[in-house]
Amino acid sequence: MAPRAELVHWAFAAGFLLLGLILLAEVIVGNEVFAMRPWRLYLWPSLAFGIGVLLWPVAVFFTNSTLHMLAHGSWAEVAMLAGAVQLAVVRGKLHSRWWTLSLSFSMLVSAAAFLIHEQNPWFFSRSAFLHHAIGWTLVVAAIFPLGQALQPRRAVWGAGFAMTWVVLAVMLFCDRDVAPIFGHLSRFAGGAQ
Amino acid sequence: MSRLLAAAVVALAFPGAAFAHASIIGTSPATQSRLAAPPRAVVLRFDQTVTITPRAIEVFSATGAKLSGPATTDRDGRVVSVPLAGLRRGEAYTVRWRATSSDGHTGSGVFTFGIGVTPPPPTEAYGASGPGWADDVARWAFFVALALLIGTIGLRLLVLHEPIPLRLSNWLYGLTTVGGIAVLNVGIAAFVLRAADAFQLPFVDLLYGDLSPLATKTRFGVAFVAMTLGYAAVTALVLLAWILDRPRLLWPAFVVGIGFATGLSLSGHQGVEPNSTFLTELADWLHLVAAILWVGGLIALATCVWPLAPELRRSAFLGFSRIATVLVAVLVLAGTYLAIARLTRVSQLWSTSYGQALLVKIAIVCVALAWGAAHHFVVRPRLERGHDAPRSVRRSLIGESTVAIIVLLLAAVLVNARPPAVEPVVGVRAGASQ
Repeated sequence: MAPRAELVHWAFAAGFLLLGLILLAEVIVGNEVFAMRPWRLYLWPSLAFGIGVLLWPVAVFFTNSTLHMLAHGSWAEVAMLAGAVQLAVVRGKLHSRWWTLSLSFSMLVSAAAFLIHEQNPWFFSRSAFLHHAIGWTLVVAAIFPLGQALQPRRAVWGAGFAMTWVVLAVMLFCDRDVAPIFGHLSRFAGGAQ
Repeated sequence: MSRLLAAAVVALAFPGAAFAHASIIGTSPATQSRLAAPPRAVVLRFDQTVTITPRAIEVFSATGAKLSGPATTDRDGRVVSVPLAGLRRGEAYTVRWRATSSDGHTGSGVFTFGIGVTPPPPTEAYGASGPGWADDVARWAFFVALALLIGTIGLRLLVLHEPIPLRLSNWLYGLTTVGGIAVLNVGIAAFVLRAADAFQLPFVDLLYGDLSPLATKTRFGVAFVAMTLGYAAVTALVLLAWILDRPRLLWPAFVVGIGFATGLSLSGHQGVEPNSTFLTELADWLHLVAAILWVGGLIALATCVWPLAPELRRSAFLGFSRIATVLVAVLVLAGTYLAIARLTRVSQLWSTSYGQALLVKIAIVCVALAWGAAHHFVVRPRLERGHDAPRSVRRSLIGESTVAIIVLLLAAVLVNARPPAVEPVVGVRAGASQ
């Protein structure tokens, strides 16, 4: 039985994977086809909003370190707000295309939480490596929503944004280990006993 | 590059199954436990191997005497213990620990236990000094945020009648959302500030502090957990009400918001002092709810309704004036009852710091009440006769709001101060406040 924190990470990784796949589906079939059923447009913003709301219990029930509470709290907040903004855009409450930048902002805040949270160098351990990797992936990927705001018709930005969540989901599925990356893997990571 | 690629492959190939850094899975004595006899050692069990120094665990008496020897680990490095000597029955003790996990993070924590007595919460551990000015400011900011969140919803539901102009609606939603987000953030900041005092560590070390004893074993912590969840739900409901054009969703948000305000009453002095009763808790809650509805309503009236919907000024002012009369009556009655409950002698009003703060608060409340009375007896009759509102009303409303916000500051100071009539329960830290 995996630790409780592990299960929670996997649950959210599954959420990000679903988010990425929905976005990817939209990119693959194109906006017009995807929007033929209007409810589809609500899918990923609702999911992001829901992930944000569900991160609040994680923030307050996993208080075994201050940093974890602060990091989860910041992720909860930006996910909830970014999801709400995108829902409002879909609903027609907000009209400017620049509202897409709220996603960039959320990604940068999330990245900062990851990078500040990890105080060890990249190759110290797998968790350290993945914390850095996730943080910098979010920093780099924050350019995709900016691209969508500047060039809404170019699919590359949407594809990049969608793949970001798929990649992050995979990383999050793996992000629970104290083992050194080089040298040996601890038994926590399935290495030699 | 190839090194990075290899690392990525290794990292992604093996799903791990451990926490990022070591967490305590058990302690002996248990956190905040009451023991029959003095223990011979304090033992901490971690879920991972940890590295320690001889001062990894320190046990202190109420007077600050250190009663623990050098810390050692077992062969696995997961169990850390220290021998104890000189503990006596009838006293409470503070355990402070630090251990470095294999990911390089140094975790730390504090907990208490008592021998033949109920130990105090970690917020009253040896070394903690109790709430300071930063806690007062955080509490004040929390009250103001709560007023924005609940007061704005209250004004909309109880005074304004749907449908209201779109621009006004959007601004009210905006103000409410700002209040909700502020409640969440300020709540977290207040909790971390209280933890910082209990841990007595530099901020960088506090970042890896184990807050779970505070979150689970103190009324303040349990209230923090419940209120964070409650106000996250309230904020989510407000956002959904705006997005879906369903103002009816504000009703559950309002009810939940007012309900979770009980967290402050149940974790404050009105819930923990020896002479606290259900009535003091109820009075405190009514006092708080009346205050936030009054202050938040005033702010929303002055900053949103007045400039954005001139056609609603008259009805909004008259409607709020009726409600404010009830709110002020509740505020004054509940406040008077609480003052009587907390002060055993009238002379304590000027002979104790709590009483002096209360006197200052009463004075400023009188200013706010006089201001409100001017609105009630001068502006209201004029509006009822069908005249336009004077131009100066908005500035006057902002002035009254400002005075009311200052009252909230005094309320925050009083909430964090210990009333004079109460004696400490157990002497780990004499004079400690909740």
